Amino acid sequence: MPDKPIEGEKRVFMTGNEVVAWAALVAGADIMYGYPITPQNEIMHYWTRLAPKFGREFLQTEDELSAGFTTIGGVLAGRKAFTATAGPGNTLMQEPMSMAEAMRLPTVVVIQQRGGPSTATVIYSQQEVTMTTLGGNGEGLRIVYSTANHQELFDYTIKAFNTAWKYRFPTFVLGDGYQAKMRESLTIYDPASRGIELVEAEPFLGKPGVPGVDRPPTQLRNTYNVEEELYEVLEGYFKDYEKIAPEVAEHEAFGLEDADLVVVSHGVVSRACKAAVKELREGGIKVGYFRPITLRPLPVDAIRETASKARQFLVVESANGQLARLLKEVAYGCPVEMLSLFKPGVGITAEDVVSRVKEIAG
Amino acid sequence: MEAYIGEYASGKSEVAVNRAIFLARSGRRVNLVDLDIVEPCYTLRPIKKKLTEMGINVVAWETREMMGLGETGCIFHPANRWALKLSGDVILDIGYGVEGAKTLNLVEGAASDPDLKIFAVVNVARPMTGSVEEIVQYVRTLGKVDGLINNSHLGDETTMEFIQEGARIVGEAARQLGIPVVATTALEELARVIGTHDAAGHPVWPIKRYMPQTLW
Repeated sequence: MPDKPIEGEKRVFMTGNEVVAWAALVAGADIMYGYPITPQNEIMHYWTRLAPKFGREFLQTEDELSAGFTTIGGVLAGRKAFTATAGPGNTLMQEPMSMAEAMRLPTVVVIQQRGGPSTATVIYSQQEVTMTTLGGNGEGLRIVYSTANHQELFDYTIKAFNTAWKYRFPTFVLGDGYQAKMRESLTIYDPASRGIELVEAEPFLGKPGVPGVDRPPTQLRNTYNVEEELYEVLEGYFKDYEKIAPEVAEHEAFGLEDADLVVVSHGVVSRACKAAVKELREGGIKVGYFRPITLRPLPVDAIRETASKARQFLVVESANGQLARLLKEVAYGCPVEMLSLFKPGVGITAEDVVSRVKEIAG
Repeated sequence: MEAYIGEYASGKSEVAVNRAIFLARSGRRVNLVDLDIVEPCYTLRPIKKKLTEMGINVVAWETREMMGLGETGCIFHPANRWALKLSGDVILDIGYGVEGAKTLNLVEGAASDPDLKIFAVVNVARPMTGSVEEIVQYVRTLGKVDGLINNSHLGDETTMEFIQEGARIVGEAARQLGIPVVATTALEELARVIGTHDAAGHPVWPIKRYMPQTLW
């Protein structure tokens, strides 16, 4: 059996779903639990083709509830476990991921957003932002990376495992149907060759020694007897989350120094926005580009600073304001005016963004 | 009659579409048949009209005729079953990887028609068909294959060297499989530089990229 899935690095041409399977492999994922749903199916297809070659495993479950809970089981046993889903599957996944939040378990879930509500289209959207960042009957104690291209899908899937196991919060990679199915080139690599150290997994249950004597007992709870008990635990979780948030939050931006209007987007739409902002700036229109890479936690300081300097935000997304809602909360009190280009469930081109900016500029 | 099969995202549709256009432009009557039964008409849908205007008979579902795309299964287009009986050239674009190759079983006469050539499209930039050994193993899972197409590329970053390296690898795999390399594909600009044959002696088919205009 070959030792490493990739020696050094290699320039390749792939679909996004394949990229995720390769990234999970090099990130040391031990097992994928999954249930098929378009547009993430090929993550499973490629994982099941690749996993046996490297001594990894796969379990197809009867639905997404089960895929989520078995992922939790794998993690409890000390395995780097992950799952992938989309749309209505993501909806079902909220119950197990809510439990992962309650128990602070490092689950990794890859979402390839499709149109909603319900089964809608199998194709594409950015309509799973609210659900992925804040879903479940909890408080959004999770980490969400929104990728924009195949290189990022590879980089951030590797990172998601490390982030999850380091901080012990459920971690999501938020892609979409376009990224899932699109083909483009990227460099796949052995993380060690880039100096990326993989965080070791360790079992939560069945550790050696007598609990309470040789080691502190493992207490993993998603049920509490009284309100105060729950409150105390959650207060601790919030403190932990607040502490790690600045370390985890990421964004990219340019052209902010002289911009009146800043185009804000995330994920694949930011490719169109980036191209549009470059074109507009070349044409002498001073616009800026801002993209949160983590949607949970958001890069709060960077957003507030930008929202204090710029006069207007143009929020662009393939949803009806799901990103905008998150931004408004963070930018509360800043004088920035919020404008929008929302196309729920539909792709957005650089031309769309350029013409909207010109319309605003008058 | 030519059927294009191969690894998911190996470039089957791009090669099939280019082949159909090439044949149509040389004055032949051409039928292009979409045999992707997992994601039918997704692929060719956005360029179907354009191809029809070029005089190609595109045999594929119209989106509005379909439902449950992608995951609920779909009805096999009746015309597809009889595709090999059409008069003129017939180009079969067979979707969705290894399982896709089995779609040929649904086409009347595919197992017995001596005129049907089945070509496997290979891109060495795809890690599962990146080496001679992997290509040989992969092609053996596909059933009857009459030839390989070297469609090695890295999207916008493709260089002549990369295509030639692909030609070498695919050529060696074909030798081991005992089948020919039918062609090496290259974007028109690169094809001009390479010439009529690649470094390994395979004919070069100049192609244009049509698939970026399509979905998925």
